[in-house]
Amino acid sequence: MILNYSQPLEITNLTSWLDTTLRSSMSEFWVLLIEFVLVGVVLLAAYAVIALILIYAERKITAFFQARYGPNRVGKWGLLQSVADMIKILLKEIIKINRSDRFLFFAAPVFMIVASMLTFGAIPFGKGLNAIDFNIGVLYVTAVSSLGIIGVLLAGWSSNNKYSMIGAMRSGAQFVSYELSAGFALMTIVVLAGTMQFSTMIEGQRYCWNLFNGHISSMIAFIIYLISGHAETNRGPFDLPEAESELTAGYHTEYSGLQFGFYYLAEYLNMFIIASIATTVFLGGYMPIQVHGWDAFNGIMAMIPTYVWFFGKTAVLIFLSLWVRWSFPRLRIDQLLNLEWKYLLPINLVNIVLMVILVLTGLTLTDLFPGLF
Amino acid sequence: MEKIKELILTTVPEAVIEQKQKLTVTVTYDKLHLLAKTLKENAALPFDTLVFLIGMDRGEELGVNYLLSPSSDLSKEIVLKTGTTDRENPLLYSVTDLFETAHYNEREVFALFGIRFINNPDMRKFFLNGDWVGYPFRKDYDTNPELNPLSIESKDIIDIAPRIMEVDGKLVEEEVNIFGEDDYIINIGPQHPATHGVMHFRTSLDGEIVKKIDIHSGYIHRGIEKLSEALTYPQILHFTDRLDYLSANINRHGLCMCVEKATEIEVPERAQYIRTIMDELNRMDSHLLAWACQTNDLGATTAFIYGMREREIILDIFEKTCGGRLIINQNVIGGVMFDIYADFQKDVKAFIIYMRDKLKEYDRFFSHNVIALGRMIGIGNLSKEDTISYAVTGPAGRGSGWSCDIRKHIPYALYDKVDFKEVIRTEGDSYARYLNRLDEIEQSLHIIEQLIDNIPEGDICAKTKAIIRLPEGEFYSRVEACRGEFGVFIESRGDKFPYRLKFRSPSMALVSAMPLICKNEKLSDFIGIGGSMDYVIPDIDR
Amino acid sequence: MSSVLKYFSGLFTGIRSLLTGMGETWKELWTKKVTQQYPENRDTLVISDRFRCELTMPHDENNEHACTACGICQINCPNGTIVVTPKMIETEDGKQKKILDTHKWDLGMCTFCNLCVITCPSNALKFENTFENAVFNREKLKQQLNHEGSKMREKKKEPVAPKVEEKETPNA
Ligand code: SF4
Ligand code: SF4
Repeated sequence: MILNYSQPLEITNLTSWLDTTLRSSMSEFWVLLIEFVLVGVVLLAAYAVIALILIYAERKITAFFQARYGPNRVGKWGLLQSVADMIKILLKEIIKINRSDRFLFFAAPVFMIVASMLTFGAIPFGKGLNAIDFNIGVLYVTAVSSLGIIGVLLAGWSSNNKYSMIGAMRSGAQFVSYELSAGFALMTIVVLAGTMQFSTMIEGQRYCWNLFNGHISSMIAFIIYLISGHAETNRGPFDLPEAESELTAGYHTEYSGLQFGFYYLAEYLNMFIIASIATTVFLGGYMPIQVHGWDAFNGIMAMIPTYVWFFGKTAVLIFLSLWVRWSFPRLRIDQLLNLEWKYLLPINLVNIVLMVILVLTGLTLTDLFPGLF
Repeated sequence: MEKIKELILTTVPEAVIEQKQKLTVTVTYDKLHLLAKTLKENAALPFDTLVFLIGMDRGEELGVNYLLSPSSDLSKEIVLKTGTTDRENPLLYSVTDLFETAHYNEREVFALFGIRFINNPDMRKFFLNGDWVGYPFRKDYDTNPELNPLSIESKDIIDIAPRIMEVDGKLVEEEVNIFGEDDYIINIGPQHPATHGVMHFRTSLDGEIVKKIDIHSGYIHRGIEKLSEALTYPQILHFTDRLDYLSANINRHGLCMCVEKATEIEVPERAQYIRTIMDELNRMDSHLLAWACQTNDLGATTAFIYGMREREIILDIFEKTCGGRLIINQNVIGGVMFDIYADFQKDVKAFIIYMRDKLKEYDRFFSHNVIALGRMIGIGNLSKEDTISYAVTGPAGRGSGWSCDIRKHIPYALYDKVDFKEVIRTEGDSYARYLNRLDEIEQSLHIIEQLIDNIPEGDICAKTKAIIRLPEGEFYSRVEACRGEFGVFIESRGDKFPYRLKFRSPSMALVSAMPLICKNEKLSDFIGIGGSMDYVIPDIDR
Repeated sequence: MSSVLKYFSGLFTGIRSLLTGMGETWKELWTKKVTQQYPENRDTLVISDRFRCELTMPHDENNEHACTACGICQINCPNGTIVVTPKMIETEDGKQKKILDTHKWDLGMCTFCNLCVITCPSNALKFENTFENAVFNREKLKQQLNHEGSKMREKKKEPVAPKVEEKETPNA
């Protein structure tokens, strides 16, 4: 079937058609091989394209916050600006630093980008649009996304630059702390949803997002996740490892050309990843807004393809993150650690207990009003 | 002042007291320290502020002029003069133990005049490399470029300071290490986003904590004071805008005033109004930039852009009035160069309304932000005693509770006719300095409001001779620039060029206090404190 | 108990201050943008008349200027930006007369201090607000201010003679 009439725009139609066609003419092995390669290429392309779009969006939105226009010279409304920048970065010389640890110096950006790609692959972009659907999806994502820190630490260490070193050290402290909070916040929702698999989790949010289902507790977890996720991506006001006005560019001071480009891409992609995990876990992922019993409404909502829902929700969260980033001054390292260890972590621990109680005593919204949701 | 004269004569009976423009006391070099100490410790009126420290090449003699004031009343002034005829190895006694601000000034004098100061704890050349041949500000300096060839090799920085100490009446030359063996030293600057110019702080760190700062400056030193010795007074004027370019107009006002006082030129009323208004606009322009940079140093880029946006309006007004935006060339000897334009009043009044609104926005946006508060309150504490000792003036000095506004103490232009508050806070931390600037913007608006509708008709510039010659003598003038007290000293030998011209730059004092207040603060706060002190490098590297 | 209270009040005032800040940026998001769209707005761009960009010697329709080649501007310029070269000609009645040969000015060196303009006794110089002066070559910044073939405007009244003749150049 080429067209599924109820959801004409879903990409799943295309993928399943492709799969059937291939299978009809080839053996299982070849089909899988071709599909793996295809998925890989598509993911890589998506990775680059999303990063470019994000860079453009950030520059534009930032500019509007700052009473400026932002890029508007290359292409209509400066749409091609980030493409031009990318070309520039590709053409730039990769500078070799004296007395740096060559191997680690080159390996560091690769770590960074691989870690963010691994996470990227596990995100459900739409119905059926995920490369892999682990039964421990949440755990996997938390685990691999924290690999990126290795890239930062290595960069700081191998650059033979004191600024980089300080930046990397800050980053280490920051990442370890906030990883904790982010993990706990996700666990809170795992308690609520009772699963770690993204697809099941999303399915479970058909009528009631996790954000509302666990009301107080979920909201707190959501906010904490946003804060700590934001901190993990090293973006302002948590951009201490880079701290432009203090450390010039922090851990990537010495990088140029494509290597710098890797860090740059990874930074934006991490922002996207955090937002998309938050979307999936708290805001129902690619699930359209559905209301129990309103079948006509649900039908119309379902007409909008799932990936649009996903990207829409993610975009809102990204906007929020930009808004925060461009409103606040940078924290100092002790403020940063205070925030984590004195506020976020204790609140988080209490919150997780609260969530367990809510779930056990049946005080979640779905339990309270089973008819509605 | 009679009592002071008595005191001086009882301390140093052979002192020569003259009443020139200021009360001037000449003593031999071995008595100077004693006299300065007595004046400083004089209970009735302690002369505890060292305003000027001026190296002089008086021909035969190399010497130093000191201008002292009591911190409680800056209008009282005493000039101390001393010198030595030994041009080969001139030695004077340091007053660093009495006035901390003397430390860097004496190093500057060493670099430029070759006078070394006994008991100064660190007698390296300031502004110049240690291996510079000759002393550029001496009258007999050999300007042959081959003596100091331009080098493109990078030189290692030597962290060893020579000094001469007096131990049991004997002079001992010794060397001290600035840093310890194992110190983790990072170079903040000369090219660094947060040094606001070409400034170099060698900083030793313990983790994130700043242990010690060693200041290197002079990367953009232009020798303006020396250049001026070959220029006529109207020509020198254009340099003043290039010292602290953010208070260009006020600096220029200072020099014009000095010449006007010396030649007894009466400045027309209209010119005084224009000068005062322009000065206050300039002050707001500078404070806005300072606010913007401070927020940017703390990582709030958005606030930076807001500050620049508001500042742009002032610059537009400057542009329309005098055809310049930063270097505005408005004051001339005897008045101002350009009359105000037709819509000047309208534009300024519109700006006042706009700015009041924006001040409220800044307040909501940044002044109470919990992160910003954490990064400013209790950070970079500067006590009142240190403020006076380091002669830190301006919003920073007033943030530590020292009333040091020259506009109040020695009113000039129209400042005695307008009503305004001297903004004083006692906390002495970054936040006090931050708030002081915003409050001073408000005061400036208030001052302009009182003047803008009353600008009298008349000349904008007094008639001056085609060639302005200053009578023989020493002339001082002091004005309140945006970063603190800006001073001009001219020694004239009756010529149309000054014999010696010296600018007292407020930023030098601000920077010299940095090692003190940044000690044991975090690295991030070092940057933030720098923003709150708001020094401007060309003002230091004159 | 008070420390607990402090903990929470600190938390909430903190959050409130952050939200106020975000409110301000939200408002700014919709305010008018201030960036000048140069060069698109060249036609509408207003540069103040007094803006000092380029030193000129105004010539009238007869290609005549007011410069007497007295050299006062050159003496007054603090950094030797102006070079006035006079030449001697013989007038009809046989007298020697000094007139302007070239009046050279170097944009690259000028500090725009305006001294030359205010000291010129014949008001022969003027700063224009033509600000687009970028060139590819330093040499092009050196301009000759008097036009080719121009001559001095004859006035009924002699221009005010300079009060004091300066002999030495200040920069020497
Ligand atoms: S001062 Fe005026 S008249 Fe004299 S040479 Fe210069 S431009 Fe010509
Ligand atoms: S503006 Fe000043 S620097 Fe420029 S040419 Fe005239 S006098 Fe010389």
